Amino acid sequence: MQPILELIAILAVIGGTAFSITGVLGLVRLPDVYTRLHATGKVGVFGVVLLLIAALLLTPLGLGKGLVLIVLLLIGGPVTAHALASAAYRIRIPLKHALRDDLAETSEPEP
Amino acid sequence: MRYLWVMISLLPVYLALTANLEVSNLIVGALLTLFVAVLLPPMQRSINVARLPGALLALLQYIIVLMIELIRSGLQVARIVLSPSLPIRPGIIAIPSGTNSELATALSAHAISVTPGELVVEIDDQGVMYTHCLDASQPEEARLFAQRQRHDLLRRIIQ
Repeated sequence: MQPILELIAILAVIGGTAFSITGVLGLVRLPDVYTRLHATGKVGVFGVVLLLIAALLLTPLGLGKGLVLIVLLLIGGPVTAHALASAAYRIRIPLKHALRDDLAETSEPEP
Repeated sequence: MRYLWVMISLLPVYLALTANLEVSNLIVGALLTLFVAVLLPPMQRSINVARLPGALLALLQYIIVLMIELIRSGLQVARIVLSPSLPIRPGIIAIPSGTNSELATALSAHAISVTPGELVVEIDDQGVMYTHCLDASQPEEARLFAQRQRHDLLRRIIQ
């Protein structure tokens, strides 16, 4: 049982690191705030969750603590991304290369 | 009675965090959760005990769907970021949540932010969710269908 758990943990470390790096790459490559939030808010959270699973298996963190942390991250990650995107839209940061913007049609004209 | 439900749902979290099942720890946990329950504003909705098992089953199904979506989301965004041509066609699309309940709208907004390539930017009074999509060229029917599925599942959970 022990070697299998270690194998899973090592795979989780590799996967988590890969996703974290991808998140940072996305932050550099994508054009504007909103698309960058896709990279950090999802891929980033996914990477951290995988690293936490590895930490659960390899370190004496404790199963309960790790699971609570993972659940809180999964709830909090998308909420953070939404809050940042909403704030960015309210201070009128423009979208780049946008195909359409349904929100611009409904929001009132600038004072 | 209304404190009891908050305590029942919070106590497992405390026990998981402390990883200690001794009686003294149980008492401390009960007191702490009672304190939190008193601080929280009273719940508007009443809990129907007969419907609780069905709601928990729906909640479990919802969590599994969310996990699958999260994995797909991670892989999809990773593929977009890693491909040399950066194939994105971003845009903001209005998706009606199909419900008047604030809780249901908030939960579907969370679910949308987890699904691949979508991120809720703004919600208006009528519950329309303005969603930023990495690929806004996809047909709208698919999005509306996904939202209807989420909505049905959510209604089974919170009624």
